Amino acid sequence: MRVHNDPMTREPAARIEASGLTKHYSGVAAVDDVSFTVEPGSVTGFLGPNGAGKTTTLRMLLGLVRADHGRATIGGVEYRDLPAPLEVVGAALESTGFHPSRTGLDHLLTYTKAAALPASRATAAIEEVGLGEARNRRVGAYSLGMRQRLALATALLGDPAVLILDEPANGLDPEGIVWLRSFLRKYAATGRSVLVSSHVLTEMQQLVDSVVILHRGRVVQQATLAELASSHGDLETAFFELTAGQEARS
Amino acid sequence: MRPLIAAEVHKLRSARLWLWLLLASMALTALYVSLLIGFSDDPDTLTAPLDTAAGQQTLFAVASGGANTLVAVVAAIGITGEFRHRTATATFLTTPQRGKVVAAKLATYAAVGAGYAIACLLVVAAIAWPWLSAKGIDLTLLGKGLPGTYAGVVADVTIFAVVGVGLGALLRNQVATVVGLLVYRFVAEPMLTAVSAISDWTAYLPGSASAALTKVSLSSQNYLDPWLGGLVLATYGLLFAVVGTRVSMRRDIT
Repeated sequence: MRVHNDPMTREPAARIEASGLTKHYSGVAAVDDVSFTVEPGSVTGFLGPNGAGKTTTLRMLLGLVRADHGRATIGGVEYRDLPAPLEVVGAALESTGFHPSRTGLDHLLTYTKAAALPASRATAAIEEVGLGEARNRRVGAYSLGMRQRLALATALLGDPAVLILDEPANGLDPEGIVWLRSFLRKYAATGRSVLVSSHVLTEMQQLVDSVVILHRGRVVQQATLAELASSHGDLETAFFELTAGQEARS
Repeated sequence: MRPLIAAEVHKLRSARLWLWLLLASMALTALYVSLLIGFSDDPDTLTAPLDTAAGQQTLFAVASGGANTLVAVVAAIGITGEFRHRTATATFLTTPQRGKVVAAKLATYAAVGAGYAIACLLVVAAIAWPWLSAKGIDLTLLGKGLPGTYAGVVADVTIFAVVGVGLGALLRNQVATVVGLLVYRFVAEPMLTAVSAISDWTAYLPGSASAALTKVSLSSQNYLDPWLGGLVLATYGLLFAVVGTRVSMRRDIT
């Protein structure tokens, strides 16, 4: 099912909807009634201080963490019910999910095989992220930045309509960050959606169209960058006002 | 299911652990066979004379002992490694039906088990044939009930791989699974089976059920019938896998 390749049906396939997502860890709500929408064709920044619940929320979107309450859908379907998940959603959640003695290309091939994708997708993805020359080296010898790129390549295997990335700029050098930014902008420009989390605001200002700001497990703001600019000035001011405000109240 | 098995085979081939442990299994088998033949003339030996059917069956049955615990370790690492190296995230993103991943690993490692068994049987043949003929003993590879022993060895090592995947699915933690396997096999169960008063019960333990498949009788221990031993051992493996899939594998991947 390659729905996203049909421009007529791309939109619904690429919309991410979270409604009322809640997750408790030993009695404490790590994520509390989180709802937001990511529209196709846009880059949405998922922002919040460390420990705000960003990673847990992303993992609930992807069916890796079971929500206590609430529901998350991608194109109206829960992740676990997608018949060909890699072809709808690409996710890079960590830069550590590699077997150190496997080569970068072998890492990708295990997933093209599992998803019954052609092996050419693995070679294309590793070229796309600029690791073509390192593809036959063991991941154990990769730098953090290279691992981030390999994680992104894993997300790209199915040429998905949705990209979900957790702190993808961690460990990238300035050049890599610029590259990532233009890569994601181009990706969204083709009508696909990108949801990218970060706690580093300067990375986000020039990348995102809209933001979802999370603080202490709750959504404190969902707005476009333009809306935020008119109410708070810039992203950084908005972020500190919103997250500090929450703190003062609690 | 075929793509998932292809993926598991690729994971196995792209890291070399399977090869090292295969070589270790073959080396262990070679050691056991050499000791058995070397000490066969010792009046205190526990094994039947090597010109008898029972003696020759014992000789081939050592392939089980060489391979079964190590193949269980390979299989256990194959599943717990997903958690140790955090590849479980990408694996379950690719295949959200986690039970299917466990099933693919069971099938893949069962085949690996059969391969280990055959390799170790060949090691026995390669050592025993020339050595016994030098001693003037005729070894007919298809006679003296030996095909039954081969089948028992292949079944035993194959099922042990299933047990390894199942236990790994249940425990998820690599060190706990591997250490648990080794301690159980080499310490816990031998201590239990040494108590003859409970031998009717200990015959149903995994190691004894395994030994029943190849009927190596080095002790006075009670054994089940071979088919029942195989069934009991397979039940452990599948029970671990099913409970592991329903309980531990459903847990959050964080």
